[in-house]
Amino acid sequence: MTAFDHDPIVEMKDIEKHFGPVIALNGVSFDVRPGECHCLLGDNGAGKSTFIKTMSGVHKPTKGEILFEGKRMDFASPRDAMEAGIATVYQDLAMIPLMSVTRNFWMGREPVRRVGPIKFMDFKTANEVTMEEMRKMGINLRSPDQAVGTLSGGERQTVAIARAVYFGAKVLILDEPTSALGVRQTANVLATIDKVRKTGIGIVFITHNVRHALAVGDRFTVLNRGKTLGTAQRGQITPEELQDLMAGGQELVALEGSLGGTV
Amino acid sequence: MSDAGQGAGAVPAKDERVKEISGLRKALIRPELGAIVGTIAVFIFFFAFAADSGMFNAQGILNWSTVSAQFMIIAVGACMLMIAGEFDLSVGSMIGFAGMSIALVSVTLQWPVWIAILLTFALCIAIGALNGFIVVRTGLPSFIVTLAFLFILRGFTIFFPQLIERQTIIGGIDDAAEGDWLAPVFGGKVGGWIFDWLGSIGAIGVFERGTRAGEPIVDGIPMLIIWALALVAVAHVILTRTQFGNWVFAAGGDAQAARYVGVPVNRVKILMFMFTAFCACVFATCQVMEFGSAGADRGLLKEFEAIIAVVIGGALLTGGYGSVIGAALGALIFGVVQQGLFFAGVESSLFRVFLGVILLFAVILNTYIRRIITGER
Amino acid sequence: MNAFLKTMAVTAVAATALLGATSAQADGERYVLVSHAPDSDSWWNTIKNGLALAGEQMGVTVEYRNPPTGDLADMARIIEQAAASGPDGIITTLADPDVLSGPIRAAVDSGIDVIIINSGTPEQAREVGALMYVGQPEYDAGYAAGLRAAGDGVSSFLCVNHYISSPSSTERCQGFADGLGVDLGNQMIDSGQDPSEIQNRVMAYLNANPDTDAVLTLGPTSADPTILALEQMGLAGDIYFGTFDLGDNIVQAIRDGVIQWGIDQQPYLQAYLPVVVMTNYHRFGVLPGNNINSGPGFVTADGLEMVEQFAGEYR
Repeated sequence: MTAFDHDPIVEMKDIEKHFGPVIALNGVSFDVRPGECHCLLGDNGAGKSTFIKTMSGVHKPTKGEILFEGKRMDFASPRDAMEAGIATVYQDLAMIPLMSVTRNFWMGREPVRRVGPIKFMDFKTANEVTMEEMRKMGINLRSPDQAVGTLSGGERQTVAIARAVYFGAKVLILDEPTSALGVRQTANVLATIDKVRKTGIGIVFITHNVRHALAVGDRFTVLNRGKTLGTAQRGQITPEELQDLMAGGQELVALEGSLGGTV
Repeated sequence: MSDAGQGAGAVPAKDERVKEISGLRKALIRPELGAIVGTIAVFIFFFAFAADSGMFNAQGILNWSTVSAQFMIIAVGACMLMIAGEFDLSVGSMIGFAGMSIALVSVTLQWPVWIAILLTFALCIAIGALNGFIVVRTGLPSFIVTLAFLFILRGFTIFFPQLIERQTIIGGIDDAAEGDWLAPVFGGKVGGWIFDWLGSIGAIGVFERGTRAGEPIVDGIPMLIIWALALVAVAHVILTRTQFGNWVFAAGGDAQAARYVGVPVNRVKILMFMFTAFCACVFATCQVMEFGSAGADRGLLKEFEAIIAVVIGGALLTGGYGSVIGAALGALIFGVVQQGLFFAGVESSLFRVFLGVILLFAVILNTYIRRIITGER
Repeated sequence: MNAFLKTMAVTAVAATALLGATSAQADGERYVLVSHAPDSDSWWNTIKNGLALAGEQMGVTVEYRNPPTGDLADMARIIEQAAASGPDGIITTLADPDVLSGPIRAAVDSGIDVIIINSGTPEQAREVGALMYVGQPEYDAGYAAGLRAAGDGVSSFLCVNHYISSPSSTERCQGFADGLGVDLGNQMIDSGQDPSEIQNRVMAYLNANPDTDAVLTLGPTSADPTILALEQMGLAGDIYFGTFDLGDNIVQAIRDGVIQWGIDQQPYLQAYLPVVVMTNYHRFGVLPGNNINSGPGFVTADGLEMVEQFAGEYR
């Protein structure tokens, strides 16, 4: 695999995060390389959210170090991480449904034309770029003035991903992008992930759905009770094994038997 | 998902058909559509019932346009602030407070009127900033914080003149403003020569007696109206065409999402509180300069009138959506209805009934339009 | 949307019907009365009734206008607008000459006759070019009441002011203080408009200042809760109590001996007489040569019957 020809962009070593007496992360190691999709799996409460928040600069790790392109980094804020090239697309998307696609796409980084002290927004450029970037992701917008609220869930995910990619993300963290989507839209989002990966961006794909992970993942890391249970490469692990790891024990095997393997 | 058919694969084929109707739809379906429809309806209504009552002679037009301009000035501020996701209930009290401040500085302290005006603007904008600062710092609803200032400012507005002058209305500002360079910017009139000419050819009425006999009854456009139009134009451009305008929408649409992408949400909100205070201060200064006195009861309930105009104009009470043009039209509807009902000879106590009905219809219509635009469900 | 349109149509029809009903025109002259009172002020009901009755008797169209919140700047707009609608005459109060004299003078100059009622002074009425003044000069009324109270041995008092933002209210209290020959000082309280607040503030003041000889209220709004406050404190009938204006409860309290006197400015006359005067002026060119003082008339326990019968309606 080509991804392994490169050094990791981000490498997290033995990360621990304590919230008072609660140990949310207890020694997690994780890395992502350019052009790969590294899936982070875990059940609810496994520590996935804490982990990505640490990676994106929201939390500071209690112990352990974060290497970005080989250098030790201390992110003071999400803004630092973003500027370094770590973009996060949260579950709630950080999109504003009432605003147009263009306004959302450029929010916080508007292209401006200065006239005296007033910074006018360059809507011509903004609209063109937005339409173009969305087309690259396979979505033909009706109009760049269309409100995000009129888009489907999958399309909204795509706008958020396209935005992160356009603004130079080297690592893209996707927090459960498929959890609220229907089958068809999930397929669209997974296709988008595949497109982005091919541009050389490293993707961290957080999910608790084994099938979605296996569809696009290059590597799989399972998190359970604040610890990594190990990393597997594509082809080295079966869906059943992954499911077991996530559940952190054998009890699910029995359950799965009675449910006929549909979990 | 019901709209799963709109996935990426299905879009290109569907797109051509959607685009065809989008032109018409786009032209019609805008945030201010409700207000435009309302404005047309209101004018038709009064043309039908009050055409010969003097409502549409020069004096009558000046009357309802002045009242509408007053509403517009405060509605512009309230609109921008509401889009940024906050309320200011202290607008009415701020109007009373600002007027009283100008009166006390210029009449009691005998300072030049222009200093009184500038000091008052500085004071009001600072109070606006304080309002905003408390809201963003404490995270309390702006409803509560500005409600507190509604009482605080009104209290001071009654207390200080009582304490200093032993009365609650302070007059004599017009004498103090004589020859002042800044006062006419708020209290003056422009375009007098046009009206002189119109009067001389008999197009508008002239005074029949008194010291002004022969002069036109309408002798110019009050600066109040100029201020209103200028504020509407500037606010509209800033909101829709600039980077800052995008931040205003973002701050009100979803403050957390905006912060994620680096929008200085707190700064935007505080600036909008300051702008609202500025608008209230413009209102107060125009009023004080026109009438020559400040009263402790000026501006009562104006905050609600501003909010009503903004809501008629299609803004969303929870922020992130709205239009300055809509708010201005809302103010126009409000002013025309308020004054027009008198012209039409409707019992004045029924004004509130009409207002309530209009408000209700506007909100229903605007909600419907907004759902089409934003895909809210 | 269909239901929505239907509702809208129904309301439009209803509104039209309403409009037709209220704008019925009489043949004669048209007069507009503009007051400064907010909608909530029930005292002005007598004025409305007087106006309506005069309109009916004289065969003229009369309209009553007021600023909904009592904001005098709004009132100025209403006067301008009344002038724009071209009536034969405007009857208005002069609550604040600074604000109102401009619009009133403009109305006078554009050929509309104006009579000032209620608030203001005869001098101010003459200055703005009004035909005459019909009302009760506030300071003089307060002064007369003060002299009367001084004669009854009062030397300190509480003025319960429920509309402190209007200067005429302060003049009443000031006149009373000057009539007594004492300094007004802190003897005037801003009571607000809410009945229970007024009641509690009066009780608080009287508890804090137990040697207060008299209470002066400025109308039913402050008098009614003050009566309750005094009853609750056991001071009713004991403390000297005078009030401006009349109302049902005030009349009852005068009968009960709780209130010594009410200053009746006879508002009915302030609406009724101007219509009569103006109509006769416009029809026959006759005009009384002087201002008309509608008050002060002191109403005491003697001769209450008529007052009681028409209190709140014509008295």
